[in-house]
Amino acid sequence: MSHDIESRLHSALRPVAPSDEFSQRLLRRIVLRPVVQPEVRRIGAGGRHPLAWWLTASLAATLILAVGVHQHLQQQRLQQSGLEARREVMEALRMTSQKLNLAYEAVKSQSTSLTDEQSGA
Amino acid sequence: MNDGAADSLDEHLDRARSGERAALAILVQAHQRCVYSLALRMLGTRDLAEDLTQEVFMQMNGNLSAIESNRHLGFWLRRVTSNRAIDQLRRRARVQMTSLDQEPELFGVEADTDPLLQRHVQALLAELSPPARAVLLLRYQEDLDPVEIARTLDMPLNTVKSHLKRSLQSMREKTIGMPPVRWEDSST
Repeated sequence: MSHDIESRLHSALRPVAPSDEFSQRLLRRIVLRPVVQPEVRRIGAGGRHPLAWWLTASLAATLILAVGVHQHLQQQRLQQSGLEARREVMEALRMTSQKLNLAYEAVKSQSTSLTDEQSGA
Repeated sequence: MNDGAADSLDEHLDRARSGERAALAILVQAHQRCVYSLALRMLGTRDLAEDLTQEVFMQMNGNLSAIESNRHLGFWLRRVTSNRAIDQLRRRARVQMTSLDQEPELFGVEADTDPLLQRHVQALLAELSPPARAVLLLRYQEDLDPVEIARTLDMPLNTVKSHLKRSLQSMREKTIGMPPVRWEDSST
């Protein structure tokens, strides 16, 4: 019984040929397409397409360059703000010094006039 | 396929690998029947089968360097066709196997099989899950043994055997009451 069913299935499932039209179209499509030559795998390439490596390398280079430029600009900004702060401190010191000088001069002239008054009396 | 033809196809494979297009055409002609039949009976419509057949041979064209022999090529083509068909069927929610009714070529115009038997096999195929359908086709269309089917579909041997057992059981139930027609004799 089982053999009978199996032989029926064999009989019913014999391979069928595609239409001639499709067969011709397939051949044209496959044969006219350039045959991919065996690719020599480079050590370390891991079988990846060279274009993928180029893309990865250029992406990495761009990333490194961008990080470098960013760091350089940040350092320049820091340096600039440091110089500005120093200039402001110097200006403040200069102004303070001027004020102190003025105060000193005032105190000095006041004490001189007091001494003169006392000696005159 | 006898040894002489296989050797000849091995030579054609070597020549196709070195870029000879005539050799590639011979390889396509030698294997297109198997690929197309598997695709047709897996997917159920001629259009889908033609598309899949074309895709499989395109993929073969790009993978010739990895193919060792004509025997390996046959194994590779069956594997790729079955797996791609299973993937397609899984992507679709439900396969419209009713469309098989509109595909008289499903069983070949030259086949001397009984229409009633064809209808039973058709109904059986429609009921099977995609992997079970692939197992049945590889067994009875491609005449592979269960071990070869397991290798082709990357499936445990016991799963292959249980798919076959269930399919035969289902077929047996469908054919109960059918007269014991000897199909081999019907051509004479």
